[in-house]
Amino acid sequence: MALHPFLWLILIPVLASPVVYLAGRLAGAAMARWLAFLTLAVTGAPFALAAQDLAANGAATFTLGLVKLKFDGLSLLLAALALGLGACVTLFSNAYMRGEAGEEKYYAALLAMIGVIVGLGCANDLFNLWIWFEAMAVASYMLVAFYRDQPASLEAGVKYLVQSAVGSVLVMLGIAAVFGATGQLSLQSIAVAAQASATQASAVGLLAAGALMTVGFGVKAALVPLHTWLPDAHSQAPSGISAMLSGVVIEAGLIALLRAVAPLLGEGDAGARFGQLLLLFAALNMILGNLLALKQTQVKRMLAFSSLSHVGYMLLGFGVAAYTGQAAAAQGGVFHMLSHGLMKGLAFLAAGALLYTLYVANGAHGPLTVSDLNGAARRYPLAALALGIAVLGLAGLPPLVGFMSKWQIFVGGFQAGDTLAALLVIFAALNSVLSLTYYAPLVNAMYRRQTSDAVRRGRAMPLTMVIPLVVMSILVVALGMWPALVEGLTGPASLALVAGK
Amino acid sequence: MAATFITLTIGLPWLGALVVWVAGDQRPRAQHALAVVFAVAGGLSGLALLTTTSSAVAIRLPVGGAFGDFTFVADGLGVFLAVVATVIGSLAVIFSVEYMKGEAQLGRYYAFVLLFIGAMAGLALTGSLLLLFFFWEVTALTSYALISFHNDDPKAVAGGIKALIITQLGGVGLLAGALLIYAHLGSYEISAFLAGADALPADLRAIIAFGFLIAAAAKSAQAPFHTWLPDAMEAPTPVSALIHAATMVNAGVYLLARFFPAFEAVPGWTTAVALVGVVTALLAACMAIVANDLKRVLAYSTVSQLGYMVFAIGCGSALASQFHLFSHAVFKALLFLGAGAVIHAIGTRDMQQMGGLGKHMPLVRVVFVIGAGALAGIPPLNGFWSKELVLEEGLAHGPLWGYIGMLIGAGLTAFYTARMVWLVFYGEPRGHYHTHDARPAMAVPLVLLAAGTLTTWLLFGPFSALLAGAVPGLHEESTLAFVSKVVTDPATLLALAVVALGLLAWQQRSRLSGIAAGLRALGQAAAQGFGFEAVNRFVARITQSAATALQRTQTGELNWNAAGIAGALIIVLIILAGGGIR
Repeated sequence: MALHPFLWLILIPVLASPVVYLAGRLAGAAMARWLAFLTLAVTGAPFALAAQDLAANGAATFTLGLVKLKFDGLSLLLAALALGLGACVTLFSNAYMRGEAGEEKYYAALLAMIGVIVGLGCANDLFNLWIWFEAMAVASYMLVAFYRDQPASLEAGVKYLVQSAVGSVLVMLGIAAVFGATGQLSLQSIAVAAQASATQASAVGLLAAGALMTVGFGVKAALVPLHTWLPDAHSQAPSGISAMLSGVVIEAGLIALLRAVAPLLGEGDAGARFGQLLLLFAALNMILGNLLALKQTQVKRMLAFSSLSHVGYMLLGFGVAAYTGQAAAAQGGVFHMLSHGLMKGLAFLAAGALLYTLYVANGAHGPLTVSDLNGAARRYPLAALALGIAVLGLAGLPPLVGFMSKWQIFVGGFQAGDTLAALLVIFAALNSVLSLTYYAPLVNAMYRRQTSDAVRRGRAMPLTMVIPLVVMSILVVALGMWPALVEGLTGPASLALVAGK
Repeated sequence: MAATFITLTIGLPWLGALVVWVAGDQRPRAQHALAVVFAVAGGLSGLALLTTTSSAVAIRLPVGGAFGDFTFVADGLGVFLAVVATVIGSLAVIFSVEYMKGEAQLGRYYAFVLLFIGAMAGLALTGSLLLLFFFWEVTALTSYALISFHNDDPKAVAGGIKALIITQLGGVGLLAGALLIYAHLGSYEISAFLAGADALPADLRAIIAFGFLIAAAAKSAQAPFHTWLPDAMEAPTPVSALIHAATMVNAGVYLLARFFPAFEAVPGWTTAVALVGVVTALLAACMAIVANDLKRVLAYSTVSQLGYMVFAIGCGSALASQFHLFSHAVFKALLFLGAGAVIHAIGTRDMQQMGGLGKHMPLVRVVFVIGAGALAGIPPLNGFWSKELVLEEGLAHGPLWGYIGMLIGAGLTAFYTARMVWLVFYGEPRGHYHTHDARPAMAVPLVLLAAGTLTTWLLFGPFSALLAGAVPGLHEESTLAFVSKVVTDPATLLALAVVALGLLAWQQRSRLSGIAAGLRALGQAAAQGFGFEAVNRFVARITQSAATALQRTQTGELNWNAAGIAGALIIVLIILAGGGIR
């Protein structure tokens, strides 16, 4: 069938999902484990084709009835993130989830979520955007509350479900308001209609829609103060899922937000006002995320709060871009999505690997605390190094990718030639310093000579866990030395984003 | 050729870091050997760079986008600092073979030392502001990792994190300056900025100039950011010698010297630089007088001597600052490694526990006294010549209060140096130790550095020629001309008299007890760090209590969470409808 390769990117994981489930039920969980990884490995081929096609021919579209999908630079970036991190997580989970009740469901839901996220990146009208978005949420509810016997896990799942539902309702109302004001759902048509309606009464409807969708999608993107579900969900989920949630899902929420709101802005100062709004959220996210992470004693909770501050950095990039029309800042934001996905994914996987060897493999589910990490480097040198690289990269130290992606955001902020933007950049830089006050002690703890009881009792680390850690660590360092490696991903993505407006 | 040598000077230590780490902690002998080989090779290629200095871009790697071109330039100023980093780096690594024998986690130690050496060379040799900041931060990372090398010691951990946080805070000034330059010139080239600085708006240039000054002050441990350096003394002593005396702390001075031509015309900037230098030199000298920890005395003296270098730049003399940097790197590395030999032998840093060690460690005493003489400014050691140059430049081009302050500083330096040497090597032993003199791996660097302390001032002529090619307005001057100028200058006599007074004061300390009692308040203030520590603690406390207060808002109750969403919606509506935040 001569479907465009990008459709296979969506179809393969989504169609494989029930197959993996059935295979797991019928032929044993081992089948599900490897089949899921194989599926994602196979999806690499259409990904390469789609990327080539995008570079050669520009954005591709596919129409089925009224539904139109469009594969542009931003879709490619999200697909790269979802598939790449997804493959690492699947391999990582091989040992981590082994023997858990419902293991085959885990892989089925994970694959479905990955496929749906790729689809979300391709949605070209508001209604489909919402459908993909909800599908992603449904898949992720199951994964967050995966440990159904643990109260903490269930509590996290319920909070996540309820707050996401509130967000969804707001998005739905927003879509209704847009449709009421313009009679359109396709993003391009909305943009055209919004231009025309700038002076009419329908502008009020669009304004309300913008607010509703910002807040609605903002719940999933963890804008402060809509973030309250995140610390529980990201820390209680299985570690692989924590990596996916922090590394891909909140980024997907942010992309949905930007895609949905951008067409409403039209010409004039609406874009600048929206940019200011994003900058306000950026400041809130950075400072709150960091201050709240400062007091955490559980590693995964600390990482979850730090995700808030990193959403702040992305918002800084996108906010400056919307506020002043700086493409460089948008590219910085996109780069930081990628780099945060990589670093936070690595951090959660490395913490998860330690959680596994120290607790899960011993049949316990205790939270991994910072003091548990004492001396971890002596027994688990690679995992400790990976976690160290990840958190120091998150703090923005070179030669790690976080330095470069933050730099690109900061450059955009200063190029805007605006005092507010420049001051926010300095605020962001100070926040990076603040984040070191909780990242650094973590690293110090791992390199102690005295080992904690947990480390002494810890089991061996399986190779399938070490491989993703090594691969991702190398990427974090390589991109930190030579950021041009991902120029081909971030450049088109930022162009697609700016063009959406 | 320059491109090859630059690549080797940065690349060899970095490759070495990887190789030593891969070699694994179960093979310590191989790790020692590999570290020495790579460090010395880096040092040799650094020396080779001296033959190929040029202000032209030697390496240009286009990265594109917001990252510009990664460029490297091997001009005199940069090559000089790279040579200091790699040569003293290799001596410190050789010293470590003995000092770190039997330590666990050698791979981590050597990997970070080598990473540091390469990064320091990169910092000196890059022509791009982005890479300058990049290497600047890598050196901060390695410094942090090495200060808290003994992670089980809470003081080491706290010292490492403190150093990291304070230098990073200062680094924001460099970041903002570099971003402003790029935003207005569209280029990260340092040379482009130096050439085009006059075209920038005056207020912008002032922001950049003071931003860089903040960064330099934090990196070079100048007031009010100096508090991290004494606490950094928890690092293994070769690291203190290399990073916290001879090289990394010079990065701030280098930054000021490099960008001086662009900032000279900014109103108040040179005065501010000179003021920072004088205040730091005097405060740190006072603290050195009352400290009892041998390494802390050396740390305070480093802070104080860095003050001299910063002051020299404030007086417009890059040559004097860099020449004193050169002398100081050599004699302070010597003093630290000498102190390391003492500490390694007796296992304490407390000078009150020492005394009379000279009898047991004759070699260490000889080299340490040579280093101390240079620190105090006694002719004909290298510290004398460079300090004289700083003072003369201060008298000729700087504010008078600066010159007077620095003269007083010279007297204080002589005093605390005499006290330190006396407490460690002379008098009656105050502790019971089985000591031994430095073994070969330690003796080699000590002897080489002592020889350097005796002779590097003879290199003044070639040194000025090296810098003349890199610093605008600087002229080559022969060693002979320099020496005769210093010798015939009446100011030299004055300085020598002050130094002699300082030495005399220590010798006559029992008769001066009346004055000492009068100065007790000053001494107590010095011991408390003149209140700067209290500021640090205050900032830390504010941050912590803000975090605690915020934590209370995270109730975890679903009702409040949903209320948060609703509240946010209202605020967003108001902002969007009300025409923005402003």
